[in-house]
Amino acid sequence: MLFWVIAAILTLGASLAVLLPLAAGAKGASSSGDHDLEVYRDQLSELDRDAGRGLIQPAEAAEARAEIARRILRLDNADTAGQASAGQASVTVRLVATVAVLAVPLVSWGVYSQIGSPDLPAQPLSARLAKNPADSSVDELVARAEAHLAANPSDGRGWDVLAPVYLRMQRFSDAVAAYRNAIRLDGDSAVRQAGLGEAIAGAAGGIVSADAQDAFEAALKLDPANAKASFYLAVALAQEGRNKEAATAWQAMLGTLPQDSPWRSAVEQALAKSASPEVASGAAAKGPDASDVDAASSLSPQDREAMINTMVAGLDEKLRQNPRDPEGWMRLVRSYVVLGKADQAREALARAIAVFGAGSDEAKKFTAFAASLGLTATE
Amino acid sequence: MVETGHFALVLAFALSLVQTIVPLFGARLNNQRLMAVGGPVAVTGFALTALSFVALASAYANSDFSVASVWENSHSLQPMIYKITGTWGNHEGSMLLWVLILTFFGALVAAFGSNLPATLRANVLAVQGAIGAAFFLFILATSNPFIRLNPAPIEGRDLNPVLQDLGLAIHPPLLYLGYVGFSICFSFSVAALIEGRIDASWARWVRPWTLVAWMFLTGGIAMGSYWAYYELGWGGFWFWDPVENASFMPWLAGTALLHSAIVMEKRSALKIWTLLLAILTFSLSLLGTFLVRSGVLTSVHAFATDPARGVFILCILTLFIGGSLALFALRASRLTAGGLFHPISREGALVLNNLFLTTATATVLVGTLYPLALEALTGDKISVGAPFFDLTFGPLMLPLLVLVPFGPLLAWKRGDIIAASQRLMAAFATALAAMLVTGLFIDGASVFAALGIGLAVWLVAGALTDLAVKSGVGSVAPAVMFRRFAGLPRSVFGTALAHLGLGLTLLGIVATLSFGTEKILTMRAGETVELSGHTLRFVGLYPAQGPNYSEDRGRFELIGISGSPVGEISSAKRFYPVRQTTTTESGIKTLGLSQLYISLGDEAKDGSVVVRLWWKPLVTLIWGGGLVMMAGAAMSLMDRRLRVGAPSRRRKQAEAPAVLP
Repeated sequence: MLFWVIAAILTLGASLAVLLPLAAGAKGASSSGDHDLEVYRDQLSELDRDAGRGLIQPAEAAEARAEIARRILRLDNADTAGQASAGQASVTVRLVATVAVLAVPLVSWGVYSQIGSPDLPAQPLSARLAKNPADSSVDELVARAEAHLAANPSDGRGWDVLAPVYLRMQRFSDAVAAYRNAIRLDGDSAVRQAGLGEAIAGAAGGIVSADAQDAFEAALKLDPANAKASFYLAVALAQEGRNKEAATAWQAMLGTLPQDSPWRSAVEQALAKSASPEVASGAAAKGPDASDVDAASSLSPQDREAMINTMVAGLDEKLRQNPRDPEGWMRLVRSYVVLGKADQAREALARAIAVFGAGSDEAKKFTAFAASLGLTATE
Repeated sequence: MVETGHFALVLAFALSLVQTIVPLFGARLNNQRLMAVGGPVAVTGFALTALSFVALASAYANSDFSVASVWENSHSLQPMIYKITGTWGNHEGSMLLWVLILTFFGALVAAFGSNLPATLRANVLAVQGAIGAAFFLFILATSNPFIRLNPAPIEGRDLNPVLQDLGLAIHPPLLYLGYVGFSICFSFSVAALIEGRIDASWARWVRPWTLVAWMFLTGGIAMGSYWAYYELGWGGFWFWDPVENASFMPWLAGTALLHSAIVMEKRSALKIWTLLLAILTFSLSLLGTFLVRSGVLTSVHAFATDPARGVFILCILTLFIGGSLALFALRASRLTAGGLFHPISREGALVLNNLFLTTATATVLVGTLYPLALEALTGDKISVGAPFFDLTFGPLMLPLLVLVPFGPLLAWKRGDIIAASQRLMAAFATALAAMLVTGLFIDGASVFAALGIGLAVWLVAGALTDLAVKSGVGSVAPAVMFRRFAGLPRSVFGTALAHLGLGLTLLGIVATLSFGTEKILTMRAGETVELSGHTLRFVGLYPAQGPNYSEDRGRFELIGISGSPVGEISSAKRFYPVRQTTTTESGIKTLGLSQLYISLGDEAKDGSVVVRLWWKPLVTLIWGGGLVMMAGAAMSLMDRRLRVGAPSRRRKQAEAPAVLP
């Protein structure tokens, strides 16, 4: 409501700025001839000053004086000829004035009604964080916890609680930091190490890197029965193209997992994928595809896949802008292979080779790398 | 508050339309009432734009992430100063700053232009309103900073870490004051073309605006150069980057305009040429905005890459540049030429200056646009860098810089080149001495160094000679001399200071390029390194935590002759987690006019760190010279001559004819 009052007042003010000069009696104005005369007089006096200082020779000064005098004479002629038709109340004038006065409210309210959000109040962060927790969204609760941890960074329990939340919100790098803090402050545990591994893998778009493997191995050392760690280590094997070993590891898991374990179905799906016949293109099946990663996640598969796709697209975009990044290209090619997008993987490979030139060391490296993923450059 | 700002922006757009149309009709119909609308509307439009800008800035300050632009470019943990400067550290906000300055200048013309001829004033405001309307429409249609998000995210994406620096508080506003300041000169030119005549007072009105715009543009470029120097960690101060060129071209053209406006003001000559220069200068400012904002160029400055924006800006460019040049072609022949002069005279020297500067502008323009055109036509990507500009821009500047000291010493209308040369003998001797000293004692191998230093000293000595000659050194008694010196017009000091600043900048550039030294090495804690007579000890790397970043700060001690530390320098690598970006904070120690510059590289596994060191002699003069040039412009602005040129108000009212509605 207050907004509409302010908007009305502003409109009124703006309209008055147009209306008042139109309604007021016209003030007198000097003809341009007066202005010119003043300038010429000043030029004359300046000429005298310059001549006094020796900036212009006497002969030239006289010439210049004559020039200015001629201009003044010309001015007098023009002045007597001009000076007419000052403001008749013609129809055009009235029309222009009316349109102008009406245009202000019409244009502003018309445009604003199309693009504005009048009902949306301002939401300063401090005000949002101060309201009752029961009314807050998950995001706001997380922000509150963050504010608390920013003030008390050595609260290990706080990090421990927040880390899995980050993981579920797909804020992987925050989750990595939170798990690391929790481990540093409250000590090692299999759950934290496995969570750390999952967060690192998530941050890398689902690829289980060496860092993530270290974390999972640490988790297994603390608790050999940790299903998450075993599962992801098998995924890592599959991603390296060691499908047989991965399948063996998953088989072994099925033997030891309790019947009611939520991991059983994930492992079974992964096994089914790795056992399925190779896809026609011949490339995608070499690496595990997105569903392996999905199966392990507590997220809905669609969400997870969408997330991974966004990350890969982001990497792709980054490489378009900054193409001289061999590591990045290999990550991109690998990501496409993992996602089962053989065509895009091949296209990325071709682009990568184009960037560094077909004969370059990098290009050879790329080709070898792609071959190890079961991908050939030209097909 | 946010929506109030949004509404105020829309209202300002509506007013800019009125400001374009009504005064134009008024001037055409010679109707006082219609013409009178321009002033109040311009002032109100500025007030509304300011309100809108304040609303956006407060949304940034309060981290209101329901505003999309705040969410994209701010973070609640940023220090307050960067929250506020973040307002224009992005495409949408910077365009709002652009129109804020545009309407501000329009309001200034409205407020202080009461002594302008009525039709000229109306036309100027109309053109200014048209530029404003185009940019308001651009903002509302393609880059609205007030787009809202519902539900609002709880945390923002942080400002680009490179921009999280005090430089962002100074560089863009100064640069925009310069760019947009030239819009006034443009409006005056187009207004004169619309009227088909140039009043004698025209130049007196345009010159102060040129001075103001030039002063801010000089400051903006110098500040941008210093910012790039210390923030990017490469130790360079000018890269011939297209974005830098985009601001340099209006500066070159603006410098030419400044000089030709002097001739026009004093001698009523070069009218048509000045008009054209004013149009070209602002066109280059617009082109700069286009190059930077459309995302045609990929660089730090391209916060936005959206083809719709590019097309829109292209339309604005075509409309204003094409329109004004077409108008120029139609009307220029109706304008009368002014005073006569001999080739060797002050006027002639200024024409020569104009020729060199516009040619130089053209070379920079070619060097900037050629790669773009080539890419568009053939798809080949090439980059035109320093080698091109060294070969084209350099040789053009050389004769101009040699001639600079002659200009102010020549008389109007007909000058005496021999007398001027005689007066410059002392300056010439000083420059020659500087060249000999450089060649014999400092660096015998480099011709460039000796020539460059000589040229710089020639400029400085020439500027001082100008002041000395005009106050009569050597020909009158000291008392008279001091009286004359104090009585010199401010514009004489302005000229001397600006030329002096040019010499200082050149001195800084030549000294840094020729005598600077560089070292890249890996260092461990406790090791020392020597560079150009300065001994540095690497104390160690210390991790630290900032408000929204973590950093590894490398500390260095400067060891004095006695062996004890005399100062500390620290350079850091910062990591901003939100954007996952690393920046380098260079460590700079100013010793006299020179600087030691340290940039920290990557840390190796064994704990040693790559360190890059530069010794940059006289480097501060590069930007110091810019400040001196700004001081010169400010001095010139205070000249009494700029305050005359209009009949006094009292006389005007007495003579006023009664005007009927």
